[in-house]
Amino acid sequence: MAELTALGFGILTASILALAAVGFTVQFSVTNILNLAYGDVMTASAFMAYVAAGWGFGGWWGLIAGGLFGAVFSVALNRAVYTPYIRRGASLFTMIIVTIAVSLIIQNMLQAIFGPGFFSLHVPAGASVHALGTVLTESQLIIVAIAVVAMLALHGLLRYTRLGKAMRATAADPELARNCGIRTGLVTDAAWLISGLFCGMAGFTLMVDFGSFQSTTGGAFLVPIVAAAVLGGVGHPYGAMLGALVVGVASQMSATLINPAYSDVTAFVILIVVLLVRPQGIISEVATSKAVTA
Amino acid sequence: MSTAWQFYITTVLIYLGVDVMACWGLNLQYGYTGILNFAYIVFQSAGAYTYAVLTLGPAPRASFQQYIAGANLPFPLPILAAGAVGGVLSAIIGTVGLRRLRSDYQAMVLLVISLIATVVITNATGIFNGAAGLALIPKPLQSGLNLTLIGYQWFYVAFVALCCLIIYWFVRRITQAPFGRSLRAVRDHEQAAASLGKNVTGLRMISFVTGGVIAGISGALLVGFISAWSPGSWLYQETFVYFTALIVGGVANNAGAALGALLVPVAFLEATRFLPPVGGPGFIEALQWVTVGLLTLGFLWFRPRGVLPERTRVMALPEVAAMARPDATRLPVGGPQAADPTAAPVARNPTVEDPAATSGTEPAGGRP
Repeated sequence: MAELTALGFGILTASILALAAVGFTVQFSVTNILNLAYGDVMTASAFMAYVAAGWGFGGWWGLIAGGLFGAVFSVALNRAVYTPYIRRGASLFTMIIVTIAVSLIIQNMLQAIFGPGFFSLHVPAGASVHALGTVLTESQLIIVAIAVVAMLALHGLLRYTRLGKAMRATAADPELARNCGIRTGLVTDAAWLISGLFCGMAGFTLMVDFGSFQSTTGGAFLVPIVAAAVLGGVGHPYGAMLGALVVGVASQMSATLINPAYSDVTAFVILIVVLLVRPQGIISEVATSKAVTA
Repeated sequence: MSTAWQFYITTVLIYLGVDVMACWGLNLQYGYTGILNFAYIVFQSAGAYTYAVLTLGPAPRASFQQYIAGANLPFPLPILAAGAVGGVLSAIIGTVGLRRLRSDYQAMVLLVISLIATVVITNATGIFNGAAGLALIPKPLQSGLNLTLIGYQWFYVAFVALCCLIIYWFVRRITQAPFGRSLRAVRDHEQAAASLGKNVTGLRMISFVTGGVIAGISGALLVGFISAWSPGSWLYQETFVYFTALIVGGVANNAGAALGALLVPVAFLEATRFLPPVGGPGFIEALQWVTVGLLTLGFLWFRPRGVLPERTRVMALPEVAAMARPDATRLPVGGPQAADPTAAPVARNPTVEDPAATSGTEPAGGRP
């Protein structure tokens, strides 16, 4: 029954990955900035949860601490760094160098502050739950539940609120949205806020799941995030959810059945196959001719 | 000069040569063609591993290191093979990564390739000995030359300098030629280049592979000198050092690339070597990386074209150039077509108008 156990872990990984990939892609669809610092913001959020645990807010408080930090930090990052460069006329091309420079700075600031060692976040694991041949602990089931609730909340936001409508309009055509009276600046801030919230929650749950983490952990997680986002078509939140499910389950299956070191390699292979077979899935209508939006 | 100083200076010079060479390769890709190759260091390390296994000899059964394709090739072959492997790997990765994706997707895919290559080589201990890497790699010609330690150091400096000259000549040939103009056209306006019949993907591919060859050779020269190579030496951040070097020195300017190699990987990283040890383990190193990131952000903000900016190229329009041609003045004023009423538009062509009017206007950049 190793396959079913692997499926359980795959769904767990997919939940974390869905949080991360959806956050990545929501921000990208609205602002068109491919934020390569995303994984490092995840790590930073996890460190915030770690610090909060030191202040007495351990366990699941870390989810709130990480999520809030991720949200605030992402908005600040956009306001303080990305937007000024775009206002200066930086191209997509330049922006990607800016984001990778920011990634390097965040990662190494964390290492300078916390040192190169490993850290861990603890939540009460709870009893093991056996269901349909899968074995997950209560804490792992809570992570899955968090992801499901977050996905439903995002769906509700995008589908049924004015903000969601404004975000979808800005994603489709920022100039037209602006001309229709949508305050795209606020929408962009909202996109970064939501993306950062997802990013922070993903960072916390990932580090809880991994058991231990260091300053480079989030950056390395960029591989499955990108694979999931690309598989779903970058810029499509629902696609990212589906992509996360496929990549998460596939990588855990291969990790259990072949070699644990190669779960990222599976994600990578999926990415390459998608690029070779369905590159038009990547050049989607959202992402072809837009410039960056501040 | 004391032996220690000579040793230090030669070492720095060799690093400089390798970095300059690598920067030229990346400059060809990034500066001239507009490819954000965030996996550049992978091609350098591919060259390094190739050089290593082709000089180490067949892997013994019981050894502290295991690797594939061991051989014992004579001197120039391992370095040439390193370049070839860099090129072939570029061709393979380019086929996947350089398809008609937006430039930032290409960059993202290449970054992911860099991350995953480290994971694979670190975990697959059978290929290049995993995280421990390869050691005791023979230095080129060391056994045959019979030089002293310092003598060999200076020999290697000269050898790297010679390789740099060859690569410089080669890169300059590419960038100065009409072919280089095509590359810049692809960089500046992909659609315009395509509309003029340029094969955008093909041109990108050629530039990518050429850069990969140069990266492979630079990796071989580096590993031939330091005699050891492991996945820790080629994390994706190392690529970023070369990008920073180009942005600081001057993108799409070969002199600027060389200056950037001198300023960022060599001068900056060597200068911080002499800092007193403060903070915990890895503290200074982390701050170095932070500074490299800030350096990039700062230059992109204050001086995006670098210390030595790209040369501004001014070119005359074709008909203006034709107008300036000496023989243009000798064209018959009326000409045989003048009698033909269908050729009336020809009269609007400045080359067949009053020769006195054209002879005085020599446009800037036109032929003398």
